[in-house]
Amino acid sequence: MLTIEGLVLGYGGEPVLDGVDLSVGAGRIVALVGPSGSGKSSILRAVMQLQEPLAGRITLDVDRAEIGMLFQDDALLPWRTVRDNVALGLRARGWDQTRRFEEAEAWLRRVGLAGLGERYPGRLSGGQRKRVALAQVLVLKPRLLLMDEPFSALDAIVRHRISQDLLGLVEREGIAVLLVTHDLEEALALSDETYLLSAGPRARISQRYDVPLTRPRDLGAVRADPRFGPLAARLWRDLSAAVGPAVQ
Amino acid sequence: MSPRARDWSIQAEMLVLLLAAWEVLARYGVIDPFYLPPPSRVGGTLAQLFISGEIWTHIVATFGAALLGLLIGSLIGMALAMLAAASRATFLLLEPFMTAMNAVPRIVLAPLLIIWFGIGIASKVALAVLLVAVLMFFAVFTAIAQVDRRLIDRVRTLGCGRRLVLTEVYIPSIAMVLLSSLKVAVGFAFTGAIVGEFVASSRGLGYLLNFAQASFNASLTLALVLLIMAFVLLLLGVAGLIERRLLRWR
Repeated sequence: MLTIEGLVLGYGGEPVLDGVDLSVGAGRIVALVGPSGSGKSSILRAVMQLQEPLAGRITLDVDRAEIGMLFQDDALLPWRTVRDNVALGLRARGWDQTRRFEEAEAWLRRVGLAGLGERYPGRLSGGQRKRVALAQVLVLKPRLLLMDEPFSALDAIVRHRISQDLLGLVEREGIAVLLVTHDLEEALALSDETYLLSAGPRARISQRYDVPLTRPRDLGAVRADPRFGPLAARLWRDLSAAVGPAVQ
Repeated sequence: MSPRARDWSIQAEMLVLLLAAWEVLARYGVIDPFYLPPPSRVGGTLAQLFISGEIWTHIVATFGAALLGLLIGSLIGMALAMLAAASRATFLLLEPFMTAMNAVPRIVLAPLLIIWFGIGIASKVALAVLLVAVLMFFAVFTAIAQVDRRLIDRVRTLGCGRRLVLTEVYIPSIAMVLLSSLKVAVGFAFTGAIVGEFVASSRGLGYLLNFAQASFNASLTLALVLLIMAFVLLLLGVAGLIERRLLRWR
């Protein structure tokens, strides 16, 4: 679904990422973790053509319109109602107003926001805004979802609930996901495979981990799986080793 | 009584007290009425202007020049800001000129505009345009430069093209700044029109002010000042109403 080969990204001609290779298969969830500043988010921006690569190739088996992206911040249009925000992508695809509003309301119900369509984003809680952002992307029925630390600003309980809901939706719809996160346990709990980036500048993929946990997953129970702890410990050790030299 | 109503009530009581004190002091000669006529006389002069109907020609002239200046100045300021934001070459061309215009009190150009456009309405409109256009140029240019990049990225990743990015992100972002600048621009437009009339004119509130000054008529001067304040406050109220209606999402 998504193949990245020899990707080089940087600013002002100076590479931050130098030769990244990874792939995301259909219906798979792939997590990307690494030290701060290693360029994790830039990979997603490059896939969405928001950032120009210095070198390398990004191959997609899906149409660009079938890719959704969830950002770290909500970035909802504050002057549009929740329903208008959710329906915006459908409007870009030429849907008439009645159909797009019906679809938007249906997705608002699915993410637990029934009856809030007429509100403005400024009158929602952080968790509710995140759910709107989720509905805004999922209403477009993406086959590939890029997520850039989407829940990092939420408190633990809200984060757990939304992650579980998202996981359920993604598993049911068979959506492929590339998730960038700094939370190692979240990466392992959600993903089928996790990539570790080395410290920048000139960061590269330093490790790849298969996550041998079955689906559908319960995020509460998955952490109690006997295979989870050793894998998390290994990932933590490798990340510490990657960060160590950069800190020194 | 709500806290807001209580505040208004206190303000109204203070105003009545001030006017009463002023009236008494002027009547008993503590204040020379030649310099500061009592409120009753100022009110009488104001009423006389309306009863005779003489004032309407001047109000229409000043309002016409100010509103036309506000409209044309806003359009020119916005258009130039958009051109400067779209093209680096245009920005480099306009920026020093606009900065220089912003740095000086632009009303000093009133005599020159009267030489160019005559003593009719054109020179007053031109001065109002000059005052408003520079204000709007900087407001809109800054608004464009400060449009939230995250919103642009967001709507682009939802598949929105240039038209939707423009209508859903740029225009509402700029409209917010425009609406808050509109209140300042109303004051600028009236300043332009009245100063233009004050310098050289055959009608308008500025012309009347000039006449009142030349004839040492403090009562007429104060009546006109009150009238101008009332009209500007009325326009600011309308601008505030539009702002509240359009920015109800806040």
